[in-house]
Amino acid sequence: MNRRPWWVSGLRYVALAAVLLWSGFPILLMILASLKPDREIFRFPPSFIFRPTLANYVELFTSRPAFFDALLNSLIITVGATVLTVVSSTLAGYVYSRYRNTALAGTAFFMIVIRMLPPIIITLPLFPAVNALGLQDTHLVLIVLYATFFVSLNSWIMKAFIDQIPRELDEAAIVDGASTVKVLRYVIVPLSVQGMIATATFVFVFSWNEFLFAFIFTTSNAKTAPLVISEMLSSLAGIDWGVLFAAATLQFIPIVVLVILLQRFVVAGLTVGSVKG
Amino acid sequence: MPVRFFHYLMVAPVQLLLLVIIGVPSLFVLWQGLTEFSYGQEAVFVGLDNYRNILADRAFWRAFTNTFIIVNAVVYVELAAAIGVSLLFAGGVPLRRLMIAILLVPYAVNEVTAVVMWRFMLEPNVGMITQLLETVGLPSLNWPIDRWHALTVIVLLSVWLHLPFTTIIIYTARLSIPQELYEAARTDGASGWQTFFYVTFPMLIPAILIALLFRYVFAFRIFGEVWLLTRGGPAGSTEVLATYLYRHSFRYLELGKASAIGWVMLVTTLLMAMPYLRQVYKRMLSQNE
Repeated sequence: MNRRPWWVSGLRYVALAAVLLWSGFPILLMILASLKPDREIFRFPPSFIFRPTLANYVELFTSRPAFFDALLNSLIITVGATVLTVVSSTLAGYVYSRYRNTALAGTAFFMIVIRMLPPIIITLPLFPAVNALGLQDTHLVLIVLYATFFVSLNSWIMKAFIDQIPRELDEAAIVDGASTVKVLRYVIVPLSVQGMIATATFVFVFSWNEFLFAFIFTTSNAKTAPLVISEMLSSLAGIDWGVLFAAATLQFIPIVVLVILLQRFVVAGLTVGSVKG
Repeated sequence: MPVRFFHYLMVAPVQLLLLVIIGVPSLFVLWQGLTEFSYGQEAVFVGLDNYRNILADRAFWRAFTNTFIIVNAVVYVELAAAIGVSLLFAGGVPLRRLMIAILLVPYAVNEVTAVVMWRFMLEPNVGMITQLLETVGLPSLNWPIDRWHALTVIVLLSVWLHLPFTTIIIYTARLSIPQELYEAARTDGASGWQTFFYVTFPMLIPAILIALLFRYVFAFRIFGEVWLLTRGGPAGSTEVLATYLYRHSFRYLELGKASAIGWVMLVTTLLMAMPYLRQVYKRMLSQNE
């Protein structure tokens, strides 16, 4: 069926190569550089065939053990925020999908408006409030903040996914005398797993990568990986590029694997969440 | 089915988080913006003084202008690229799943790592792209010193990070255009350009508007890219509204003024989102009847 002139096909391949280069090349270059000895890193033109070394990773491990604590902090915060968001958004999404009255419509509209506000604004009153509560530099603050900035989008996505489950299923269960908890447990949750995975992926990626709140609300105990990388980047003693690349690569690999594995859900969630929301 | 108390309880966690963490603090910032105070001081009511001071501050207008330039450049470059990529992919590419995975990868990169990657290539004198430009005799990049170079790099980084989002929105919309429309266009003898202007583009408009809205609202908050790359410098020449706010709140501790900046940002955001919010409001109202 393909009857394109040869030069159009040629141009299409050039364009495709440009797109792949644009997306993938900076990342590939960084990962390769993390495996090079220091003097090779800035060599021009860059070498693509070289003897890889783990020296940068070893040095990261010995000179900046705090980075590994930060990775652990990131993991704790990310998992916490993900669980909090998915559970609360599924509950809300179910109600918004199945029930309607003026009060609910009002809260749903509030939810959509408030998700537009720039996050930096709320750091102004929250910073002293968090200090007054003695919660500065704790995992809990970031868990709650990250969850808050995703419950709105995610409730909306869950609503859209639950809308696709035939109402007759849960109505029949209710007629049979099932409680709301049972309806959720045996009808809604099993049939909206796709949506839950999509929403979980969004919060997970966001929390794993977030910079602004971590920068403002953590100083040592709950510091996340992106924050430690940013400190390495702005180190006054000059940047140790090899070690920096090693750290950035370690932060990036797990999340990119996750995104690629869950690609289908990311696409479905983005489509449902933005186009229908 | 009637809404029961239990159902309100089920939306409560989401609503409470939004109310306690965003809603109430935002209103508090509105009040704070009308006062002059710093940590450990009594707030003094000063009316609209903070707003008057901001509007008279040249640094504010520079931050505003920079944000305006960055947001518009990012949003439209991204949109054009997303449409191009979507059409390319919709026309059929080999190994489609793998290609889409590569296209999506920057979505998983945080802004700190993106700055690391791009600085590596753009570092003055030693970066790969800098050296490449010098080798072919083009003027070199000097983003640590030159405002326009810096703004260009910031836009570049931002587009790189967010192109996957915009592309997915446009691409899925492109895939949902019925194939019959293209067959009809072909039967009528439409050229490639005619097909684009009379079939593809009009059918993509709803998705384009959504992508534009979200990208405007989100690009407007830009902080990390600017802070990590230039700290708003040199001499405030690349400051954006979010870094300007940060400086006033966490460096100068002028909380009243910072709050006023915050509300300027909030109102601007809501104005940008207004067409969308009105549409959502109408739809909800009609569903409720």
